Amino acid sequence: MRVLILIPARNEAESLPAVIRSLRAEQPDIDILVVDDESDDATRELLSGLGVEWLRLCEHLGIGGALRAGLRHGLRAGYDIVVRVDGDGQHPASEIDHMIAPLLRSQADAVVGSRFSGSTGCQTPPGLRRMGQRVVAAWVSVATGVRVTDATSGFWAFGPRAIRVLAAHHPAGYPEPELLLLLAHSGLRVTEVPIHMSKRLAGRTSLTSSRLGLACATTALALLVAPLRRNVGEASGG
Amino acid sequence: MGNLVQIGAVAVSAALLLLVIDLVRRRKLTEEYSFIWVLCAVALLVLSVWRDILHVTARWLGVYYPPAVLLLVLIFFVFVASLYFSVVISGQRRQIEHLVEELALFDHRLRQVENNKKTGRDPHD
Repeated sequence: MRVLILIPARNEAESLPAVIRSLRAEQPDIDILVVDDESDDATRELLSGLGVEWLRLCEHLGIGGALRAGLRHGLRAGYDIVVRVDGDGQHPASEIDHMIAPLLRSQADAVVGSRFSGSTGCQTPPGLRRMGQRVVAAWVSVATGVRVTDATSGFWAFGPRAIRVLAAHHPAGYPEPELLLLLAHSGLRVTEVPIHMSKRLAGRTSLTSSRLGLACATTALALLVAPLRRNVGEASGG
Repeated sequence: MGNLVQIGAVAVSAALLLLVIDLVRRRKLTEEYSFIWVLCAVALLVLSVWRDILHVTARWLGVYYPPAVLLLVLIFFVFVASLYFSVVISGQRRQIEHLVEELALFDHRLRQVENNKKTGRDPHD
Protein backbone atom coordinates (compact mmCIF):
# COMPACT_ATOMS: atom_id res chain seq x y z
CA MET A 1 0.00 0.00 0.00
CA ARG A 2 1.44 3.37 -1.00
CA VAL A 3 0.75 6.07 1.57
CA LEU A 4 1.04 9.82 1.09
CA ILE A 5 1.00 12.39 3.87
CA LEU A 6 -0.74 15.53 2.64
CA ILE A 7 -0.07 18.78 4.49
CA PRO A 8 -2.19 21.78 3.45
CA ALA A 9 -0.25 24.84 4.58
CA ARG A 10 -0.92 28.54 4.72
CA ASN A 11 1.51 30.73 6.64
CA GLU A 12 3.06 27.80 8.51
CA ALA A 13 6.73 28.80 8.06
CA GLU A 14 7.41 28.67 11.81
CA SER A 15 6.01 25.19 12.39
CA LEU A 16 6.38 23.38 9.05
CA PRO A 17 10.09 22.35 9.33
CA ALA A 18 9.48 20.82 12.77
CA VAL A 19 6.34 19.03 11.52
CA ILE A 20 8.28 17.55 8.57
CA ARG A 21 11.16 16.49 10.85
CA SER A 22 8.74 14.76 13.18
CA LEU A 23 6.98 12.98 10.31
CA ARG A 24 10.31 11.90 8.81
CA ALA A 25 11.49 10.54 12.16
CA GLU A 26 8.26 8.66 12.80
CA GLN A 27 7.40 7.59 9.23
CA PRO A 28 10.65 7.51 7.20
CA ASP A 29 9.16 5.47 4.33
CA ILE A 30 6.04 7.53 3.70
CA ASP A 31 6.03 10.22 1.00
CA ILE A 32 5.07 13.74 2.04
CA LEU A 33 3.34 16.40 -0.05
CA VAL A 34 2.95 20.00 1.13
CA VAL A 35 0.34 22.16 -0.61
CA ASP A 36 1.08 25.84 -0.07
CA ASP A 37 -2.16 27.81 -0.21
CA GLU A 38 -0.54 31.05 -1.38
CA SER A 39 1.15 31.86 1.92
CA ASP A 40 2.12 35.45 2.73
CA ASP A 41 4.99 34.43 5.00
CA ALA A 42 8.22 32.52 4.24
CA THR A 43 6.44 29.17 3.64
CA ARG A 44 6.88 29.40 -0.13
CA GLU A 45 10.63 30.05 0.20
CA LEU A 46 10.95 27.09 2.57
CA LEU A 47 9.29 24.55 0.30
CA SER A 48 12.20 23.64 -1.98
CA GLY A 49 14.51 23.10 1.01
CA LEU A 50 12.22 20.78 2.97
CA GLY A 51 13.11 17.66 0.98
CA VAL A 52 9.47 16.83 0.27
CA GLU A 53 7.20 17.10 -2.75
CA TRP A 54 5.22 20.32 -2.89
CA LEU A 55 2.50 22.11 -4.82
CA ARG A 56 2.00 25.84 -4.75
CA LEU A 57 -1.43 27.36 -5.43
CA CYS A 58 -1.07 30.68 -7.23
CA GLU A 59 -4.26 32.02 -5.59
CA HIS A 60 -5.55 31.51 -2.05
CA LEU A 61 -8.30 28.86 -2.32
CA GLY A 62 -8.70 27.82 1.29
CA ILE A 63 -8.38 24.36 2.77
CA GLY A 64 -10.82 22.73 0.31
CA GLY A 65 -8.85 23.74 -2.79
CA ALA A 66 -5.51 22.79 -1.22
CA LEU A 67 -6.84 19.35 -0.30
CA ARG A 68 -8.45 18.77 -3.71
CA ALA A 69 -5.14 19.57 -5.44
CA GLY A 70 -3.22 17.30 -3.06
CA LEU A 71 -5.71 14.45 -3.37
CA ARG A 72 -5.66 14.74 -7.16
CA HIS A 73 -1.87 14.48 -7.02
CA GLY A 74 -2.24 11.40 -4.82
CA LEU A 75 -4.76 9.85 -7.19
CA ARG A 76 -2.67 10.47 -10.30
CA ALA A 77 0.54 9.27 -8.66
CA GLY A 78 -1.16 6.01 -7.65
CA TYR A 79 -1.27 6.35 -3.86
CA ASP A 80 -3.70 4.04 -2.05
CA ILE A 81 -3.96 6.05 1.16
CA VAL A 82 -3.70 9.79 1.76
CA VAL A 83 -3.31 11.05 5.33
CA ARG A 84 -4.19 14.69 5.91
CA VAL A 85 -1.98 16.28 8.55
CA ASP A 86 -2.14 19.95 9.49
CA GLY A 87 1.01 22.03 9.15
CA ASP A 88 0.77 23.55 12.63
CA GLY A 89 1.94 20.47 14.51
CA GLN A 90 -1.40 19.60 16.11
CA HIS A 91 -1.53 16.14 14.53
CA PRO A 92 1.21 13.94 16.00
CA ALA A 93 3.10 11.72 13.56
CA SER A 94 2.90 8.91 16.13
CA GLU A 95 -0.88 8.64 15.52
CA ILE A 96 -0.58 7.95 11.77
CA ASP A 97 -0.25 4.15 12.07
CA HIS A 98 -3.30 4.21 14.31
CA MET A 99 -5.19 6.27 11.70
CA ILE A 100 -4.44 4.07 8.69
CA ALA A 101 -4.98 0.73 10.46
CA PRO A 102 -8.76 0.52 9.66
CA LEU A 103 -7.99 1.32 5.99
CA LEU A 104 -5.34 -1.42 5.79
CA ARG A 105 -7.87 -3.87 7.26
CA SER A 106 -10.48 -2.66 4.71
CA GLN A 107 -12.81 -1.76 7.58
CA ALA A 108 -13.35 1.79 6.37
CA ASP A 109 -13.00 4.10 3.37
CA ALA A 110 -12.04 7.09 5.50
CA VAL A 111 -10.83 7.52 9.06
CA VAL A 112 -11.16 10.61 11.19
CA GLY A 113 -9.10 11.20 14.31
CA SER A 114 -11.39 12.14 17.19
CA ARG A 115 -10.30 14.24 20.14
CA PHE A 116 -13.44 13.39 22.07
CA SER A 117 -13.78 9.63 21.90
CA GLY A 118 -11.99 6.86 23.74
CA SER A 119 -9.71 7.34 26.70
CA THR A 120 -7.98 10.44 25.32
CA GLY A 121 -10.79 12.49 26.77
CA CYS A 122 -11.96 15.92 25.79
CA GLN A 123 -9.10 18.22 24.83
CA THR A 124 -11.11 21.37 24.34
CA PRO A 125 -12.03 23.34 27.45
CA PRO A 126 -15.77 23.70 28.08
CA GLY A 127 -17.29 26.84 26.64
CA LEU A 128 -19.06 28.15 23.60
CA ARG A 129 -16.62 26.49 21.21
CA ARG A 130 -17.03 23.05 22.77
CA MET A 131 -20.80 23.49 22.84
CA GLY A 132 -20.75 24.33 19.11
CA GLN A 133 -18.63 21.24 18.43
CA ARG A 134 -21.13 19.09 20.34
CA VAL A 135 -24.09 20.52 18.41
CA VAL A 136 -22.40 19.96 15.03
CA ALA A 137 -21.37 16.42 16.02
CA ALA A 138 -24.92 15.62 17.12
CA TRP A 139 -26.33 17.03 13.89
CA VAL A 140 -23.91 15.03 11.73
CA SER A 141 -24.63 11.89 13.77
CA VAL A 142 -28.37 12.24 13.11
CA ALA A 143 -27.84 13.03 9.41
CA THR A 144 -25.45 10.13 8.78
CA GLY A 145 -26.95 7.61 11.17
CA VAL A 146 -23.46 6.96 12.58
CA ARG A 147 -22.29 8.23 15.97
CA VAL A 148 -19.79 11.04 15.45
CA THR A 149 -17.97 12.56 18.42
CA ASP A 150 -15.67 14.96 16.56
CA ALA A 151 -17.13 16.54 13.42
CA THR A 152 -14.52 19.31 13.21
CA SER A 153 -11.30 17.29 13.33
CA GLY A 154 -8.81 17.98 10.55
CA PHE A 155 -6.87 14.74 11.06
CA TRP A 156 -8.03 12.34 8.33
CA ALA A 157 -6.91 9.27 6.43
CA PHE A 158 -8.54 8.48 3.10
CA GLY A 159 -8.64 5.15 1.28
CA PRO A 160 -8.80 4.68 -2.53
CA ARG A 161 -12.56 5.24 -2.93
CA ALA A 162 -12.60 8.33 -0.74
CA ILE A 163 -9.57 9.71 -2.62
CA ARG A 164 -11.43 9.33 -5.93
CA VAL A 165 -14.53 11.12 -4.63
CA LEU A 166 -12.72 13.89 -2.76
CA ALA A 167 -10.12 14.65 -5.46
CA ALA A 168 -13.00 16.28 -7.31
CA HIS A 169 -15.49 17.14 -4.59
CA HIS A 170 -13.73 17.86 -1.28
CA PRO A 171 -15.89 20.57 0.34
CA ALA A 172 -14.52 24.07 0.85
CA GLY A 173 -14.81 26.65 3.63
CA TYR A 174 -14.74 24.93 7.04
CA PRO A 175 -15.28 21.59 5.39
CA GLU A 176 -15.05 18.83 8.00
CA PRO A 177 -18.75 18.48 8.99
CA GLU A 178 -19.84 18.63 5.35
CA LEU A 179 -17.09 16.14 4.49
CA LEU A 180 -18.62 13.60 6.87
CA LEU A 181 -22.03 14.07 5.23
CA LEU A 182 -20.57 13.86 1.72
CA LEU A 183 -18.75 10.61 2.47
CA ALA A 184 -21.84 9.06 4.09
CA HIS A 185 -24.02 10.27 1.21
CA SER A 186 -21.58 8.70 -1.27
CA GLY A 187 -21.95 5.34 0.48
CA LEU A 188 -18.44 5.42 1.96
CA ARG A 189 -17.69 4.01 5.41
CA VAL A 190 -16.20 6.47 7.89
CA THR A 191 -14.64 5.34 11.15
CA GLU A 192 -13.48 7.43 14.08
CA VAL A 193 -10.35 6.53 15.98
CA PRO A 194 -9.44 8.20 19.26
CA ILE A 195 -6.33 10.34 18.97
CA HIS A 196 -4.49 12.78 21.17
CA MET A 197 -3.81 16.09 19.52
CA SER A 198 -0.85 18.31 20.41
CA LYS A 199 -0.84 22.06 20.86
CA ARG A 200 -0.06 24.03 17.71
CA LEU A 201 3.64 24.82 17.45
CA ALA A 202 3.10 28.34 16.11
CA GLY A 203 0.53 30.59 14.51
CA ARG A 204 -3.13 31.08 15.28
CA THR A 205 -6.30 29.36 14.24
CA SER A 206 -7.87 30.77 11.08
CA LEU A 207 -11.20 30.58 12.91
CA THR A 208 -10.95 33.98 14.60
CA SER A 209 -13.92 35.38 16.49
CA SER A 210 -14.73 37.73 13.59
CA ARG A 211 -14.97 34.77 11.20
CA LEU A 212 -16.74 32.46 13.63
CA GLY A 213 -20.23 33.79 12.86
CA LEU A 214 -19.81 33.40 9.12
CA ALA A 215 -18.23 29.96 9.58
CA CYS A 216 -21.18 28.82 11.74
CA ALA A 217 -23.71 30.18 9.23
CA THR A 218 -22.06 28.57 6.18
CA THR A 219 -21.59 25.28 8.03
CA ALA A 220 -25.24 25.26 9.15
CA LEU A 221 -26.40 25.92 5.57
CA ALA A 222 -24.04 23.26 4.20
CA LEU A 223 -25.35 20.73 6.73
CA LEU A 224 -28.94 21.52 5.76
CA VAL A 225 -28.34 21.33 2.02
CA ALA A 226 -25.77 18.50 1.81
CA PRO A 227 -28.31 15.65 2.38
CA LEU A 228 -30.49 17.05 -0.43
CA ARG A 229 -27.70 16.96 -3.01
CA ARG A 230 -27.39 14.40 -5.75
CA ASN A 231 -24.66 11.81 -5.43
CA VAL A 232 -21.31 13.03 -6.69
CA GLY A 233 -19.15 11.11 -9.13
CA GLU A 234 -15.62 9.89 -8.66
CA ALA A 235 -12.61 11.57 -10.27
CA SER A 236 -10.56 9.56 -12.71
CA GLY A 237 -6.83 9.16 -12.24
CA GLY A 238 -5.98 10.69 -15.63
CA MET B 1 -51.05 57.10 -15.84
CA GLY B 2 -50.39 60.58 -17.12
CA ASN B 3 -49.05 61.11 -20.61
CA LEU B 4 -45.82 62.58 -19.32
CA VAL B 5 -45.19 59.57 -17.07
CA GLN B 6 -46.01 57.24 -19.96
CA ILE B 7 -43.66 59.03 -22.34
CA GLY B 8 -40.92 58.89 -19.71
CA ALA B 9 -41.52 55.16 -19.09
CA VAL B 10 -41.48 54.36 -22.83
CA ALA B 11 -38.29 56.41 -23.34
CA VAL B 12 -36.45 54.76 -20.40
CA SER B 13 -37.54 51.24 -21.47
CA ALA B 14 -36.53 51.86 -25.08
CA ALA B 15 -33.19 53.35 -23.98
CA LEU B 16 -32.53 50.29 -21.79
CA LEU B 17 -33.31 47.97 -24.73
CA LEU B 18 -31.05 49.95 -27.07
CA LEU B 19 -28.26 50.03 -24.47
CA VAL B 20 -28.36 46.23 -24.08
CA ILE B 21 -28.36 45.70 -27.87
CA ASP B 22 -25.46 48.14 -28.26
CA LEU B 23 -23.45 46.38 -25.53
CA VAL B 24 -23.97 43.07 -27.34
CA ARG B 25 -23.02 44.72 -30.67
CA ARG B 26 -19.78 46.05 -29.17
CA ARG B 27 -19.10 42.62 -27.60
CA LYS B 28 -19.11 44.14 -24.10
CA LEU B 29 -21.96 41.79 -23.17
CA THR B 30 -22.30 38.23 -24.47
CA GLU B 31 -25.63 37.09 -25.92
CA GLU B 32 -25.94 34.51 -23.15
CA TYR B 33 -25.98 37.16 -20.41
CA SER B 34 -28.01 39.71 -22.37
CA PHE B 35 -31.25 37.74 -22.60
CA ILE B 36 -32.41 38.56 -19.10
CA TRP B 37 -31.87 42.29 -19.71
CA VAL B 38 -33.55 42.18 -23.13
CA LEU B 39 -36.52 40.41 -21.53
CA CYS B 40 -36.65 43.04 -18.77
CA ALA B 41 -36.50 45.96 -21.24
CA VAL B 42 -39.16 44.44 -23.52
CA ALA B 43 -41.49 43.74 -20.57
CA LEU B 44 -41.13 47.34 -19.36
CA LEU B 45 -41.68 48.66 -22.88
CA VAL B 46 -44.83 46.58 -23.38
CA LEU B 47 -46.26 47.71 -20.05
CA SER B 48 -45.39 51.34 -20.81
CA VAL B 49 -46.93 51.36 -24.31
CA TRP B 50 -50.11 49.37 -23.58
CA ARG B 51 -51.53 51.10 -20.56
CA ASP B 52 -54.49 48.72 -20.42
CA ILE B 53 -52.21 45.81 -19.51
CA LEU B 54 -50.78 47.92 -16.70
CA HIS B 55 -54.27 48.82 -15.40
CA VAL B 56 -55.53 45.24 -15.60
CA THR B 57 -52.38 43.94 -13.85
CA ALA B 58 -52.66 46.65 -11.16
CA ARG B 59 -56.32 45.77 -10.51
CA TRP B 60 -55.49 42.08 -10.43
CA LEU B 61 -52.68 42.66 -7.93
CA GLY B 62 -54.69 45.15 -5.89
CA VAL B 63 -52.29 48.01 -6.64
CA TYR B 64 -54.06 51.39 -6.50
CA TYR B 65 -51.43 53.36 -8.44
CA PRO B 66 -50.82 51.51 -11.78
CA PRO B 67 -47.31 52.95 -12.49
CA ALA B 68 -46.18 51.22 -9.28
CA VAL B 69 -46.58 47.94 -11.22
CA LEU B 70 -43.74 49.09 -13.49
CA LEU B 71 -41.53 49.45 -10.42
CA LEU B 72 -42.66 46.02 -9.21
CA VAL B 73 -41.73 44.45 -12.56
CA LEU B 74 -38.36 46.19 -12.47
CA ILE B 75 -37.62 44.97 -8.92
CA PHE B 76 -38.64 41.45 -9.93
CA PHE B 77 -36.26 41.45 -12.89
CA VAL B 78 -33.38 42.93 -10.86
CA PHE B 79 -33.90 40.20 -8.25
CA VAL B 80 -33.96 37.44 -10.90
CA ALA B 81 -30.92 38.95 -12.66
CA SER B 82 -28.97 39.20 -9.38
CA LEU B 83 -29.75 35.60 -8.54
CA TYR B 84 -28.85 34.50 -12.05
CA PHE B 85 -25.51 36.30 -11.92
CA SER B 86 -24.77 34.88 -8.47
CA VAL B 87 -25.20 31.42 -10.00
CA VAL B 88 -22.91 32.43 -12.88
CA ILE B 89 -20.28 33.79 -10.45
CA SER B 90 -20.46 30.62 -8.34
CA GLY B 91 -19.86 28.52 -11.46
CA GLN B 92 -16.95 30.71 -12.51
CA ARG B 93 -15.46 30.49 -9.01
CA ARG B 94 -15.53 26.69 -9.26
CA GLN B 95 -13.86 26.90 -12.67
CA ILE B 96 -11.15 29.27 -11.36
CA GLU B 97 -10.50 27.03 -8.35
CA HIS B 98 -10.17 24.04 -10.65
CA LEU B 99 -7.74 25.95 -12.88
CA VAL B 100 -5.61 27.06 -9.90
CA GLU B 101 -5.48 23.45 -8.64
CA GLU B 102 -4.57 22.09 -12.08
CA LEU B 103 -1.96 24.82 -12.54
CA ALA B 104 -0.25 23.77 -9.29
CA LEU B 105 -0.24 20.13 -10.47
CA PHE B 106 1.07 21.15 -13.88
CA ASP B 107 3.84 23.23 -12.25
CA HIS B 108 4.79 20.21 -10.14
CA ARG B 109 4.91 17.98 -13.22
CA LEU B 110 7.07 20.54 -15.04
CA ARG B 111 9.54 20.66 -12.13
CA GLN B 112 9.68 16.87 -12.15
CA VAL B 113 10.42 16.78 -15.89
CA GLU B 114 13.11 19.46 -15.53
CA ASN B 115 14.74 17.63 -12.60
CA ASN B 116 14.67 14.36 -14.52
CA LYS B 117 16.23 16.09 -17.50
CA LYS B 118 19.05 17.40 -15.29
CA THR B 119 19.66 14.00 -13.74
CA GLY B 120 19.19 12.17 -17.05
CA ARG B 121 16.24 10.10 -15.84
CA ASP B 122 13.32 9.07 -18.02
CA PRO B 123 10.56 11.72 -17.48
CA HIS B 124 7.91 8.95 -17.50
CA ASP B 125 9.45 7.26 -14.44
